[in-house]
Amino acid sequence: MNELRIAVPKGRLQDEALGVFVSAGYAIPSESDLQTRKLVFARDGVEWIFVKDADVPVYVEHGAADAGIAGLDQILEHECTAYQPVEFSFGRCRMMLIAARGAPPLTKIATKYPRITRQYLDARQLRAEIVPLAGSVELAAVLELTSHVIDVVETGETVRVHQLEIQDLVAEISPRLIVAKNSYRMDGKRIRELIARVERRVELRSTESPGFRHGAAVPYGLGVTKE
Amino acid sequence: MAKFRYPTGVRPLLIEETARRRRIESRFVDVLERAGFAEIVLPIIDYAEPYTLLQARDTSKQSYRFVDREGEVVAIRSDFTPMVARSLAPAITKADLPLRVYYRGDVIRCDASRLGANREMFQIGAEIVGDPSIEADIAILRLASDLVREFGLQPNVVYSDVAVALPELRPVLATKRMNGDVPAALRGIAEKLVAGSAAVDDIAPFAPEAAARLSAIAAALPEFELHLDDFEDAGAYYTGIRFRIYDAASRTKLAQGGRYDRLYETFGAPAAAVGFTFTIDDLFEERRQLAGRTADSLPAGWEPADLPAGSRRYAEGE
Repeated sequence: MNELRIAVPKGRLQDEALGVFVSAGYAIPSESDLQTRKLVFARDGVEWIFVKDADVPVYVEHGAADAGIAGLDQILEHECTAYQPVEFSFGRCRMMLIAARGAPPLTKIATKYPRITRQYLDARQLRAEIVPLAGSVELAAVLELTSHVIDVVETGETVRVHQLEIQDLVAEISPRLIVAKNSYRMDGKRIRELIARVERRVELRSTESPGFRHGAAVPYGLGVTKE
Repeated sequence: MAKFRYPTGVRPLLIEETARRRRIESRFVDVLERAGFAEIVLPIIDYAEPYTLLQARDTSKQSYRFVDREGEVVAIRSDFTPMVARSLAPAITKADLPLRVYYRGDVIRCDASRLGANREMFQIGAEIVGDPSIEADIAILRLASDLVREFGLQPNVVYSDVAVALPELRPVLATKRMNGDVPAALRGIAEKLVAGSAAVDDIAPFAPEAAARLSAIAAALPEFELHLDDFEDAGAYYTGIRFRIYDAASRTKLAQGGRYDRLYETFGAPAAAVGFTFTIDDLFEERRQLAGRTADSLPAGWEPADLPAGSRRYAEGE
């Protein structure tokens, strides 16, 4: 039988994602393993692959990985149709429409998420040009490259430092365990065991930290303005 | 610039590939004709309008559409099933039913997601029209899995029934995650479905007809897998059983199908139907292998030295 292949996002979510699997009882690659340039590790019947966070939905959607952890931002941007059986409390953030103070009306939006931005504009019946960027998106508003930007906001520090203004909530973002449809259907027993183990760990954590409620929205206290 | 390229997702088949395609096709045709199916040929473009209500918004977005010389919006064939119904409905009388037909040809789908490319796919499909019975469901499932075995592959058949997914449960089944929107009365069954512990008896109070049909099919075809949690939004015209057939070794999806008892009605002839479609590319193109496997995941007995130079560097942790 094939090994179960799990995609772990490198970067922002990596440590928390690995933490999930450790506390779910899986043997993960050691820290010194991770410092090598290897990207694939086999441990106890699981093959761990380390890929850029934006690529996790791609591997899982195509079945090159059976499961993985990905942020809702990447899941939506890739229109990934994998199952999302578990939602995590760590790494939550919000995707926001942001503008410079006193910015002109919405005409251009810079973003790393052109698809989500398109859907947002359509849903709000707004018209604007989308300018895709690869990073440091706030700068586009600061330098007046665009009137607005859409990006994820974690602490709001970048927004404050650059004296930007949050104008609307685009989406609540949380990391999820995602599972390939074909694996779920063809290897149901092992996949369900994975889900159950990860889920138990999430339940344990949420009783430890009463501040987090599954699926609860945290009020941000934002002045929302839209046309 | 376009001298060597083709539009995304299409390519010519040269001599060897064409020969292989034709061989596969004729084996399919042999099996289908022996099973009493007769061929129909459908046009490559058709008006978009008759299909607009049938297809999910996303599906219609996947077709290539344009305005023809008379100013009508036409679409390149992207899904055979509704076209078969539209072509047969005006021609069939009660005396013709049940009818066994098959079809073959290309469909072109412009996949809207970034995860897939536009694709021209060669499909062969068959359906039984005018037979609402469980026996027809079983016959179609058997025929589809026999076709897979015909090519020396081991079929893995999973099936469900769309009626299992009550409208309130659809978001839950589509993500496989419970959420706060499930009504209290349905929470028990929703949790069981998501956890994979639901049995046919559990769904009987909610979908009695589907439960009865699924029990009968399970009794007749114990080697196929019943997935009660299964649900996909795509293919808005399905009304009963849905199934997918995978190659057990590669886990590649080979075929899909189901029952659509209202489709013919929308084109003026009330007739139940059940059918399947094979996508030939999926079945016969070699599965891509993950490149650059490392020492940690080397096949038994392999040494890093056995790997190509580039992979070896990774395997040695450089």
